[in-house]
Amino acid sequence: METLNFLMHGFGVALTPTNLMFAAIGSILGTLIGALPGLGPANGVAILIPLAFSLGLPADSALILLTSVYAGAMYGGRISSIMLNIPGDEPALMTTLDGYPMARQGKAAEALAISAIASFIGSFIATIGLILLAPILARFALHFGPAEYFALFALAFATLGGVTGKNPVKTLLAAALGLMIATVGIDHNTGTPRYTFNTLELYEGVDFIIVLVGMFAISELMFFIEAHAGAGHQMVVLNKLRLKMSDIIHVLPTAIRGSVLGFVAGVLPGAGASLGSFICYTLEKRLLGNKAHFGEGDPRGVAAPEAGNNAAANGALVPMLTLGVPGSGTTAVLLAMLISLNITPGPMLFQQHADLVWGVIAALFVGNFILLLLNIPMVGIFVKLLSIRPMYLMPIVTLVASIGIYSLSHSAMDLYFMVAFGIFGYVLRKIEIPLVPVILGMLLGPEMETSMRHALTISDGSWNIFYSSGLSIGLWAIAILGLILPTVLGPLLRGKMNKARQHEGQKV
Amino acid sequence: MLLNNDRIFGMLMLVLAVAYGWGATQLPEPFGGNEVVGPSTFPSILAWILGLCAIYLIVKPDPSQEWPSAKIFGELLVVVVVLLGYAWSLDYLGFILASFACVAILSWRMGATVASAALVGLGTSVGVFLIFDIGLELPLPMGLLGGLA
Repeated sequence: METLNFLMHGFGVALTPTNLMFAAIGSILGTLIGALPGLGPANGVAILIPLAFSLGLPADSALILLTSVYAGAMYGGRISSIMLNIPGDEPALMTTLDGYPMARQGKAAEALAISAIASFIGSFIATIGLILLAPILARFALHFGPAEYFALFALAFATLGGVTGKNPVKTLLAAALGLMIATVGIDHNTGTPRYTFNTLELYEGVDFIIVLVGMFAISELMFFIEAHAGAGHQMVVLNKLRLKMSDIIHVLPTAIRGSVLGFVAGVLPGAGASLGSFICYTLEKRLLGNKAHFGEGDPRGVAAPEAGNNAAANGALVPMLTLGVPGSGTTAVLLAMLISLNITPGPMLFQQHADLVWGVIAALFVGNFILLLLNIPMVGIFVKLLSIRPMYLMPIVTLVASIGIYSLSHSAMDLYFMVAFGIFGYVLRKIEIPLVPVILGMLLGPEMETSMRHALTISDGSWNIFYSSGLSIGLWAIAILGLILPTVLGPLLRGKMNKARQHEGQKV
Repeated sequence: MLLNNDRIFGMLMLVLAVAYGWGATQLPEPFGGNEVVGPSTFPSILAWILGLCAIYLIVKPDPSQEWPSAKIFGELLVVVVVLLGYAWSLDYLGFILASFACVAILSWRMGATVASAALVGLGTSVGVFLIFDIGLELPLPMGLLGGLA
């Protein structure tokens, strides 16, 4: 009942004309970002943060704008999967399996419409899940002491690579690098300058927004140059939509099952949207057996992974909002935004900034409706955008990213830093070191160090405090499992995902 | 191969870990004296983690990814120089001129014809200026064109 009151209040925040406008703008921008080649959701949100910041938007509007972008990008990702057979990001991989065959059979419009409806159902169910689960988890998290928080942060890093992650040592190395960058500047606890080399610019530390934009946007540009991918790809022709009510009812059970599974996968640390959409697809395939034609353009093969990955995307917001621990790259970027707005996520968020949290949750609902309305009649416009060639698009994106960084403090110094981190990001990606742990390390570093010091102060210097409660032992156990499991399960799962893709590819 | 990417990177990271760890020991004792945890505790742990990961990469590297050829390296260098030049000239040339040059050169380097690259550069720089400076009231430098406004 209490929750319902809060939610009503949240709708009050989200439905003001200005915020409604920001939700609409965010949804459109997000779909664009998701659909355009070379602009993943994490990338897009990262570029927009400094802009939202320097335009001086109030916290709730900025947050609503960027969560709508996040939701929109998840919708947009499926467009290139279906039209180009190129997944916009990893979770959209499974959508190509049946989406592209459908498009090849002249049913591209139906595939897009069904995936939009499935995405809507996925987000809708997951947002309800978020409303039910988040306050409970937040209340539970109030029992966490500094030692438990330290273990939780370690868990976040350990599971970040996900079950499908490649080399856990590289994840760990990336996290250490990020945490090290975070230690540059004046130490919050004692005021000691660390690793500043007596340079004034470094006393405040390295701004993570600069690192974020440099590593994502600039390194992406360099990859495009290297691959000579400026010319773009061949696309299937979009037909006129013929969708009957019975078609929608046909995929409904699949979409609902996919949503629930996807949400669970999103909440769990380390599972994430990729695994969510994979599990949904394979489970649905097994469940329907010979009655379905999965891999040959079955609409249910589009609905299952799309419902799954949208539900997982919203599910990932649960640990991010309640614990301050993001489960995916994009939620890490959203966390960056919260921190730059001076809002500390975690259990206290629901008490101190109730307006804001519930406003954002309500905005997820509103954005979801806007997205469904946008995506069915206007999908033709978004599809046209796919034919914009990256050789024109990427320079423009780079320009917008640079404006954002420049507007932070109107100094060229920040732009030099951005380019430098772009080169660094390019090198890291070349050596297959993931970038997200670096960013997360920068974000969580100060909090992590503070909780470590608090814990040690409480225990008078005894390190036993870190494994003295059942809760922290449990967290450490999951963290260690999170590091070990990928080495065992990772190759197995990745092999299966690739095999499924190749197998389906042959049938077309 | 002995000189694997991971191995070279691992060595660099090992050097960084040692330098960073040494840096941590040089940090001054905080005011108030010898507490159990000071500003150097956390960095020391990080140095150990990074060092151990680096050693692992040196001992057991993944197969090397291919690096681009010298020609592509040249192209990448051009991109970096253009971006740095953009940052350097932004205040002097002003947003419109600098952005025009930057977008046009990048787009040309990515394979557009000179004419269309110039057109995209012009359209973007003016369009983005109008949206951000006038529409969204985000002040951008005018530079050489300052006299015109």
